[in-house]
Amino acid sequence: MNQNTDLLTLRSVSKSYGPVPVLHDIDLSIRDGEFLTVLGPSGSGKTTVLRLIGGLEPLTTGEIRLEGQDISRMPINRRPFNTVFQDYALFPHMTVSGNVGYGLSVRHIQRKEIARRVAEALELVQLERFADRFPAQLSGGQRQRVALARALICQPRLILLDEPLAALDLELRRQMQEFLKSIQREIKTTFLFVTHDQEEAIGMADRICVMQAGHIRQLGTPHELYYKPNCEFVARFFGENNLVAGKLGPVQGELRPIETALGRLVCSISDQPHLKAALDGASAFAAFRPEALRLAGAKDNDNRLSGTIADLAFAGSSTVATITAGADNAAQRLRLRMPSRIDGSMLKSGETVSLSFAPHEGHLVLA
Amino acid sequence: MSKAGSTQPSERHLSLLVTVLAFALPVVFVLVPLAIFLVYSFFSVDQGTIIHAPTLGNYVRFFTDPIFLPVFWNTIVLCVSVAVICILLAYPAAYFLTTLKGRWRYALLMLLLVPLLMSYVIKIYAIRSILGLNGFLNKALVALGILEQPSTLFVFNMNAILLTLSLLLIPFAILPIFLSLERIPQTLLRASDDLGASGLQTFLRIILPLSLPGVASAASFVFVLAIGDFLTPQMVGGISGFTFGRILYSQFGTAYNWPFGAALSVALAIVVICAILIGERFGRNRGTSI
Repeated sequence: MNQNTDLLTLRSVSKSYGPVPVLHDIDLSIRDGEFLTVLGPSGSGKTTVLRLIGGLEPLTTGEIRLEGQDISRMPINRRPFNTVFQDYALFPHMTVSGNVGYGLSVRHIQRKEIARRVAEALELVQLERFADRFPAQLSGGQRQRVALARALICQPRLILLDEPLAALDLELRRQMQEFLKSIQREIKTTFLFVTHDQEEAIGMADRICVMQAGHIRQLGTPHELYYKPNCEFVARFFGENNLVAGKLGPVQGELRPIETALGRLVCSISDQPHLKAALDGASAFAAFRPEALRLAGAKDNDNRLSGTIADLAFAGSSTVATITAGADNAAQRLRLRMPSRIDGSMLKSGETVSLSFAPHEGHLVLA
Repeated sequence: MSKAGSTQPSERHLSLLVTVLAFALPVVFVLVPLAIFLVYSFFSVDQGTIIHAPTLGNYVRFFTDPIFLPVFWNTIVLCVSVAVICILLAYPAAYFLTTLKGRWRYALLMLLLVPLLMSYVIKIYAIRSILGLNGFLNKALVALGILEQPSTLFVFNMNAILLTLSLLLIPFAILPIFLSLERIPQTLLRASDDLGASGLQTFLRIILPLSLPGVASAASFVFVLAIGDFLTPQMVGGISGFTFGRILYSQFGTAYNWPFGAALSVALAIVVICAILIGERFGRNRGTSI
């Protein structure tokens, strides 16, 4: 498997239900062997993308190509993809091995061969001992693993997972995340995982595709999305962020200042040509993460801010301070995250503090 | 009156009354009559009066007389055939209903169930006139050139009973099958497609097995209703269409031999109970409910 070749390409794909458009002109390439997560709030069209690829719904316009071959009109039962459904959709009248072997037996594969591959698949998902149980006799996590085994036994080119962890409790969800990731590494099959949970997305994905209102907003590694969001939506949606509105100033190499109500802030624009190209005076946001803000130890070139502490919230390993900054008529709330200390922080609510962040830790997004 | 009880005494009396009624009604109106039948089946009749001395004579007669066992058996075969015909006709109809969307589905279902609201006797008359020598069926077959002469095959014999009972009882088969088909989650069908199954494979391996409980209850419904019916055979059966129900009826109505009639009823009741138990056994989802 070569992670750099495209397995599946969506080209200007649109989908409408009657007059209601749900996807607008989507372009997306899925690389061979990667774990791609489609992340978005509900109603963003992420499940529709999965259903179009799986063949559960017809496209309105555009095309889907599998290694160059147009499969837009290929019927669902001939596509070399398998789906893990949100509610698992296990066949209640079949045992675990009946369920797992179903995809093989409808292809008229020999019984002995089916039994061998079912045993292999159950071993992979660690359910050997449950082969003769019915789905009703399994727990949620076990059903989940049966659904996964059933999907991967047909050796599909792509496994589609539709929020498969949504129904599990937090602890089990964590375990299943690791489990899914390790299986994906082991069988080296491409996974397309749909979720609305960004923690899930960060934890598992090689790349994340952020969707909103039927558009793809950004596609990149979790690191790129976190540190170089390309629009206001991604900057706000993906992780906690501080956004301060302002007007762009002239480019200074890899940096660019922005004039805001909180003063002039200088942020990094490296590897973001669209920010270098934006006109002076264009509306934009300075964005900096709560953990980038510092209370002390500011260097000469750092951006400086001041404000009063409105609230302090202890969150275990870290403490989050909500700070009101700026003049009364343009007050802005900022969040600062710092490691917790056993003796408590020195800060008090109502105290005035001075803050700073380094230019390379801030970024810009166009409004 | 205990202090711990938070309910008022009158309220408790009411709830006691309701409990007693809930148990008493089925006992008085179902179990007691059944028990009386059972007891009567061990009596005998002499010159029109019932002799209240226990005897096995009625059962000996049922098993040894060359008339009753064959009729009993033929009636069971007839009613099984009715059940099979009803299932074969009702399944496609119910399946078609589930493929319809929203309002149409239930409108059509209501239409199929409307005959249940009509008088049973009127329906039999109507069917009899369709099946008769000058009836619609004969006229149609002659007009199509399938028959040269109107046939007497369709009325006043076993065929007539079979056809009439099937027609009358189809709604009872459609309803449970429709309900079991409708309960199958659509995602199971999508999952089957997704795993590479053809439409036929999905039907045979997912839809059909999951609807079998409905088929089983439909079959036992129809069978039980058919085997208890004496009116239909009486009206369309003529001389050759003689069923167990008619024998039973004649024992009570004309022969005035209640004890023997009661013994025959017990035999019938055993078959009915078996049919219900079998229907129940297969009607359950084999411990795999969704």
